[in-house]
Amino acid sequence: MAERLRKSLDWGKLVPLRLRARSVADGVYAGGHRSPRRGAGIEFGGHRSYVPGDDLRYIDRHALMRHGRLLVREFETETDRALRLVLDASESMAFRGPKAPGAKLAYAALVAAALARISLAGGDPVALDWLGGHSRRALPAMGGREAFERILGALESVNAGGDLSFDHSAVDRSLAPVARHAGRGSIIVLLSDLLDLPEGTLDRFAALATRGRTVIAVRVLDPMEAGFPFEGPLRLRASEGREIVETDAESARTGYLEALERRARDWDSRLVPRGGRLVRATTDQDAVEVVRGVLRAAEGTPA
Amino acid sequence: MSFLVAAALGVGLLIGVPIAAHLLRRGRAREQEFPPTALVPAIRPVARQRSRLEDRLLLAVRVLLVITLALLGATPLVRCSRLSLARESGASVALAVIIDDSLSMRATLANGDTRHQLALDGARELLRSAREGDAIALVLAGRPARLALAATTDLGAARRALDELEPSDRATDLEDAVELARSSLKQLPHVDKRIALFSDRAGGPIPPGEPPVWTPLPSLSEDAPDCGITSAEQRGRRVTVHVACNSPSAARGRFAEIVAASASDQRAADAGSGARPNPGTVLGRAELVAQAGPQSVGIALDTGPIAVDARLDGNDRLAHDDSAPVLAEAAQLSIAVTSDRSSASATTGGTTLLEQALAALGNVSVRPLPVVPDEGRELESHAALVLDDPAGLTPEARAALHTWVERGGVAVALLGPRATLAQLGSTLEPFAQGAVRWEVTSAHGLDPTSASWIGSEAESLKELSPRGRARFEVSESSRARVVARWDDAVPFMIELNRGRGLLWTLGLPSSVDHSDFALRPGFVALLSQLAEQAAHRKGQKSTLAGVPWSFPAGSSIEVVGPNGREEVRDVQRPEGRSEKVVLPGVAGRWQLRIDGEPELRVVTLSAEEITARPSAPAEAETRGAGAQSDLRIDASPELALVALGFAFVELLLRWYGRVRLRASGAADRRRRTEGDPARAA
Repeated sequence: MAERLRKSLDWGKLVPLRLRARSVADGVYAGGHRSPRRGAGIEFGGHRSYVPGDDLRYIDRHALMRHGRLLVREFETETDRALRLVLDASESMAFRGPKAPGAKLAYAALVAAALARISLAGGDPVALDWLGGHSRRALPAMGGREAFERILGALESVNAGGDLSFDHSAVDRSLAPVARHAGRGSIIVLLSDLLDLPEGTLDRFAALATRGRTVIAVRVLDPMEAGFPFEGPLRLRASEGREIVETDAESARTGYLEALERRARDWDSRLVPRGGRLVRATTDQDAVEVVRGVLRAAEGTPA
Repeated sequence: MSFLVAAALGVGLLIGVPIAAHLLRRGRAREQEFPPTALVPAIRPVARQRSRLEDRLLLAVRVLLVITLALLGATPLVRCSRLSLARESGASVALAVIIDDSLSMRATLANGDTRHQLALDGARELLRSAREGDAIALVLAGRPARLALAATTDLGAARRALDELEPSDRATDLEDAVELARSSLKQLPHVDKRIALFSDRAGGPIPPGEPPVWTPLPSLSEDAPDCGITSAEQRGRRVTVHVACNSPSAARGRFAEIVAASASDQRAADAGSGARPNPGTVLGRAELVAQAGPQSVGIALDTGPIAVDARLDGNDRLAHDDSAPVLAEAAQLSIAVTSDRSSASATTGGTTLLEQALAALGNVSVRPLPVVPDEGRELESHAALVLDDPAGLTPEARAALHTWVERGGVAVALLGPRATLAQLGSTLEPFAQGAVRWEVTSAHGLDPTSASWIGSEAESLKELSPRGRARFEVSESSRARVVARWDDAVPFMIELNRGRGLLWTLGLPSSVDHSDFALRPGFVALLSQLAEQAAHRKGQKSTLAGVPWSFPAGSSIEVVGPNGREEVRDVQRPEGRSEKVVLPGVAGRWQLRIDGEPELRVVTLSAEEITARPSAPAEAETRGAGAQSDLRIDASPELALVALGFAFVELLLRWYGRVRLRASGAADRRRRTEGDPARAA
C-alpha cells in the first residue's frame, strides 16, 4: 500500500529520501550544537517585544521605564527544544513543473527530514503534523534512534490531496494539536506553498508563537510558480478550488509576481515581531541552504 | 501526372493543419495547471488582441509555406516552360542570337503580343540562363543583316544591347544573318557553339551549315493576315497606291484611301500655300482586289498640289503598314546627257551608245539635253550629267554647273576631238585646266591596275584601239586625282571633288569612230559607278527600308525620321574613301538637311516582306541540334527561395508579435500603476 502511495507522489530526483535527508543534514550541521532554544535560563540572550501569552515574570521593568515599551528578557538554556514539523500536503503541493526536480511536497519532505535528523542528532524531540493530504500519519514528539525512521516512514507514505482553500476547519484541526502539545520553547516549522490556505491561516499560525515558541514558515514554490515563465495567451487552472483564469502571460507576469511577493511580505511581517521568520525556497534550490535558513531563523540570526 | 507528382502535391493538403491549429487557438487558449492561479490577473483583451494580431498573418504565411513545400516536392517532376541553355558537361557555350527585326515581326499574334516582343522576351529568357564564360553575339536579320553586338562574355552588355533593340520596317535577310552569326562564332574558342533564331522565318530558307540553327519559338511562325502599302506615288492628279497582301482574306472588303497629310508634313513637303483640306480628310478611295500578292490601285484627286498620305481602312494583324506617305513623283535616278547624235549614235540609228548603256543600268531615267543649261535650277532634277565630247562651256553654263555640282551633282566629261574646237569664251573648266589637245597615240588601252576600282571589267579596257586621245594637264595645285592611266602612263581619267559633288574627266568620247571604249564592258561598269555616285550624292527620293543613304565625308548631314533624329555614321570604304551613311529602317517621310539644304525623302516597304508567308520550322530545329537545348527547366531553386522567404517572414511575424505584446503589457502595467496611487507611491 505504502509503495502504491509513494508512486502517486512525484518524488522526482529527490529519492531516496533517507539518503538525501542525511546528505542535507550532514551538509548543514556536523557535531554537537547548542540548543537554539531561548527562554527561561541562566545566560542572558537579549530582548524582544512582548506578545500576549508571554510569561509576565520576564518583562524587563527597567526597559519599560526607560523606553516606555514592553520588552521581554530572553535567556539561553541548555535544555532540549522540541521541533514540530507541520507539512502542507494539500493538492497544490503535488504540483511539479517541467524544470523542477520533484513535487513541492517531496521537496518539503526532504527539508523536513533533514531538519528532523539535525534536531534528533542534537537530542531534541521531533513531532510531525499535516495540513490536508491523504494517508497522512501524525507523529507525536519523540526522540531517539527510532524517531527518524518513523518520521521517514510517515513522510514517504503521505499522498497529496484535499482542497484547503475554503476549509477553515481543516486548518483548525491541524493546528489545534500543535498548539496543545507544543511545549515552551518549541520550534514550529510550517512547510507549505502558502497558496491555497484558507483566509485566517496566517493569524492562526502566528498565534502559536507564544510561550517561548518559535514559528517559522518555509514557503516552498515550484520554479514555474516563482518565475511565471509562460508566453502567449493562457488559460490557467488552480489545483485547489475551481478557479480558472484566462490571461496573457507577458502582460500578467508582473502583476502575478507582485501579488506573490506581497503575500510573502504579509507572512514575514506577521512572523518577525513574534520571533519567527518566513524562509523562501524553490524546489530547484539547494535544500542545504534552505535548512540553514531555517536554523538561522530558529537561532534568531539574520537571514 | 505521375503518382509521385500527385503524392507530392498531396502534401499540399497539409494546409489543413495550420488552419485547424488556428481555429483551435482562436477558440481556446492552451490550458495549464497552475496552483497560484488566484494570484494571476486576468487580462483577457490583450490575449484576444494577440490572437487577432498574429493569427491571420501567421495562418496565411504558414498555409503558403505548406503549398510552396508541396510544389517544391513536385518540381523535379513539374516543370515550367522557359527557354534555357542546356549544357554538355557544364561547358561554356558560345551563342549567337539572331533577332529578326523585319517588318513582318511587327505583326500581332493571337495572344496579343507582337512577334518582335515575343522574340525579345525569348532571347531575354535565354540570356538569363547564360552564365560567366558564355559568349553571346547578337545579330539582326532585317535587311541588311547587321551585327548588333560582337561576341562577348559580358552578359550585362548583351542584355543591354537586347533592351535597346527596336522593330523596323526592313525586309528579311535570314541567309546573311545566319552567315553573319556563324562567322561571329567562328573565331571563338568555345567547343559548344549554337545559333538561336527568333524569327517568323518569312525570309527564305535557312542556309545549311555548322552550327545548325535552333528555332526555339516556333509560335512566331503563326499566320498573321496582313495587307500593307508598300509605296504610293502621285503623277499629276492621279495617285497610284502599291499594296501587298499575304492572303485574300486580308484584302477582302478593304479600301485604299488618300487623305490629307498632317500640317507638319505639308510644311516639310513645301506643298504650296493654297487652301489645304484638314489633315485626315479623305480625298479619294478605291477598293482592293481580294487576292494575295502585290496590286496597284489608282485613285484620282481633285485637289491642288498638297502633301497626301495613303492608308488602308479596316484592320489586320499589322497596323503599322496600313499607311504611307505619297511621293510626289516617281523617283528614278535621273541622268542628263548632252551628246552629238550624229557622231555618237550607232550606225543603225536610234539613241546614242551612251544613252543605251545608261538605260541598261536599270532604275535610271536618261534625259538627253541639247546643251548644258545656263540656269542651275534646270539641272536640279538630275542626279548626274554626262557631257560627251563637249566643245567647251560658256561662262553661264560653267556657273550653273558649278552651283549644281556643289549641291551634290555628278558631272562627267568624255573629252574628244571637239575639245580643241572651243569657241572664244568657252573653256572646259572645271573638268580640265588649260588647253586640251587631241593627239594621235600609240597606246593600246588602259593600264588595268590603275583602274582596278572599276572592278574586274577594268581588264576589258586594256585594248581600246584608240584613233586618238584627249590630253589634259593635271597640275599639282588642283585637287584633281588621277584614277586611271593609259598604258603609257598618260592620265586617262581624273577625279575632282567639289562641295558635295564630283567631277570626272575622261580622255575618250563614247563615239566608236574614235575608239572601242563604248563597246567594252568596262564602259558600262564605269557608268554603273557613276550612277552609284550620283545616287549617293544626289540621292534617291524614295528608297526601301534598310537601303543605306551615303553622303560625302565632308558634308554636314542632319536626318530626322518618323522616330526622331537618326544617327549619321562615318564609314571607311575598302577603296580608301570615307563617307557618311544613314540606315533608314522605318518607313515614312524623312527630312534631311544636307549642308543646310532641306530635302524630303520617303522610305517605302518591300512587297516581298509583306507577301511572304512564315514557314514553320522543322521539329528538329525547335528542339535544337542534338538536343543541346532544353525548353524546360527545373524551378526548384526559385521555389526553395520562396519557401525560405516564407519561413523568414513567419519568424519575423512571431518576433514582431512578441515585441508588440511586451510593449502593450508594459503600457498596461503603467496604466494600472497610475490608477493605483498607493502602488505608485
